[in-house]
Amino acid sequence: MPDSNVKARCNLFAVLRGIEYLVENDSDCKDLVAGVNLAIQFNVSGGPSGNLSFKDGRAEMKSGKHKSNIVLYFSSPEHFNKMIDGKANPIPLKGLHRLGFLSGPFMKLADKLNYYLRPEGELLFNPEYFRINTELTAYTAFFALAEIGNYDPLGMMSGSHIPDGILQIKVDDGIGIYLEVRNGKMNCVKGHHEDPRAILSFSSLESAHKLLNGQLDTFTGLGSGEMCMRGFIPMLDNMNPILDLVPQYLS
Amino acid sequence: MEETITNKLYTNKKSMEIFQRGLKVLPAGIPGHLGPVQSQFIPTSAYPLYATRAKNSYFWDVDGNRYIDYMCAYGPNVLGYNNELVDNAAMEQFKNGNCMPLPGIAQVELAELLCDTITIADWSFFMKNGGDATGFAKMVAHAATGRDKVVMIEGGYHGVTPWTQSLTHAGITPADVENNLIIKWNDAAAFQRVVDENPGQIAAFISTPYDHRVFADNVLPSDGYWQKIRQICDDNGIVLIIDDVRCGFRLDTAGSAEYFGFKPDLACYCKALANGYNISAVVGRDSLKDAAAKVFYTGSYWSSAAPMAAAIACINELKRIDGAKVMIEKGKKLTSGLVEAAKDAGITLKISGIPSMFFMRITNDDSLMMQQEFCAECAKRGVFFVSHHNHFINCSLTDEDIRDTVEIAAEAFRITAQNNIDRLNR
Ligand SMILES: Cc1ncc(COP(=O)(O)O)c(C=O)c1O
Repeated sequence: MPDSNVKARCNLFAVLRGIEYLVENDSDCKDLVAGVNLAIQFNVSGGPSGNLSFKDGRAEMKSGKHKSNIVLYFSSPEHFNKMIDGKANPIPLKGLHRLGFLSGPFMKLADKLNYYLRPEGELLFNPEYFRINTELTAYTAFFALAEIGNYDPLGMMSGSHIPDGILQIKVDDGIGIYLEVRNGKMNCVKGHHEDPRAILSFSSLESAHKLLNGQLDTFTGLGSGEMCMRGFIPMLDNMNPILDLVPQYLS
Repeated sequence: MEETITNKLYTNKKSMEIFQRGLKVLPAGIPGHLGPVQSQFIPTSAYPLYATRAKNSYFWDVDGNRYIDYMCAYGPNVLGYNNELVDNAAMEQFKNGNCMPLPGIAQVELAELLCDTITIADWSFFMKNGGDATGFAKMVAHAATGRDKVVMIEGGYHGVTPWTQSLTHAGITPADVENNLIIKWNDAAAFQRVVDENPGQIAAFISTPYDHRVFADNVLPSDGYWQKIRQICDDNGIVLIIDDVRCGFRLDTAGSAEYFGFKPDLACYCKALANGYNISAVVGRDSLKDAAAKVFYTGSYWSSAAPMAAAIACINELKRIDGAKVMIEKGKKLTSGLVEAAKDAGITLKISGIPSMFFMRITNDDSLMMQQEFCAECAKRGVFFVSHHNHFINCSLTDEDIRDTVEIAAEAFRITAQNNIDRLNR
């Protein structure tokens, strides 16, 4: 059973974080935040706090409480999760005069997240859509994985067995994400680390897409050469059960 | 042997073709520990995936490549693949009858032989796999004590039945593992603590004779460790189970517990018992014979006679040649050659565990990437090592095999060193 607090963390720090990627990769989204300079604080009672800021055409999600122009309050993790599902509204506590940003550009960004994370019809046949869908799904999945590994009881059990070090996940000649693991706690970072202790790589974005969408299992991927792992394998062995929990939280 | 080492690198075209077929019809392509993922074949393309035949210390793959093998099928190859003494004994029994409505005489003969051979054995019970043996031993302990809990060592391996696995593994439920109490290896004080915290509730302490876990240097018992464990078990009515499935007959023919100077109540055997024929066994002390008789535990093939005949031939031969000593000596010779070859290439190779089951690790790099490269280079040249697991020596390994292995390893170390100058300079 997904824990609603962990789900709220995934929604905030993995799903909403996707906006960082969108404003870099989708021209409509880029336009939506051009010249916007503000920060939204999300405070979930009994759950996480996070701050999404826009500046110089870029977006950044940080955990905790930071300077903000708009403060949104949620009475519970369930309340926040319902907002993400489009079934509830936040309670604005500050920045009422900036609410136009929320009902306008922010809603459009949220719609775009949905558009890219839930492919419909033939969208995936468009190579650019395919790329954004896969990369965004990958970032979302691994940022969620870190939350699950740090906060879900079963995830923490696996997490506690991941040896310390850098676990790099990457697409050959493509994007990279790595987990910094120390004492069973993990932090997810975008990019390529220079000295990973273990590497899980995909030969192509297509292979990554298949794994993330349940069309390729790890054993087949590794056997067929679509995936490759090397380095200190206990890191990957103990990450995999957490990856298996991700769909429960990102449904 | 007709083949000698060559400079040509092996390729695995046919293996890969067959594997592609396997992937379609078998989960994971090759299920279980022989699959390329579980075997840590990194990269998969450097390794053979299907064998066609084996003899002594060699196996041949479907591409016709010959390997000097240090995995010994993960232990069962103890006298040499297709050892004639063992095969003849098995064939003889196969001809007369194998799986019958009654056991063969071999059942009694094998039990007698084990009782004569293994110090603590007053009786034997036969099954097929190591996991059958550990499961039976645990049931006997529950039956004898009426208690629920079992103390186990973190990182230990006792098979794949749910109670032996971690809750984080696919298919395991909390109820499967709720009676397991996990402590660290070599920590008798921790054992005393869990015993104090669970008074009258612990049925058994189960452990391998030493810590031969995967991915880490293997660790022998510290001085007095086993004697302390024995004492705590005695003081608290706990059954001491030794899982000798992997070490059995490679440390001491009389039992690995004998090697470390203590006496367990039950010992589990499998791998080296019959040189590859499918049989495992639990042996035990008289005091537990009653409980063992009460536990209902059996299987379609467990009483088959041919593997028992094979086991008799295998154990008699191991005793005749003092197999454990032979393998330990060969292991020492091989590992000292490997350490030297590594040193010549500027690499530090650490050997741990008992030489007949040595674990090796390149210590210049904590990511195992150099180790994986080294093993892959060896595989491409006909020496079969794995990067994560202890290796196995068998009695048929020759001085020439050791010499050829060290020569190939030297080249693999040189290549690995060249590719990892940055790591070596760190
Ligand atoms: C120590 C130990 N116990 C139990 C087992 C399980 O044996 P099997 O795979 O025959 O069930 C193994 C197998 O590797 C082992 O090494």
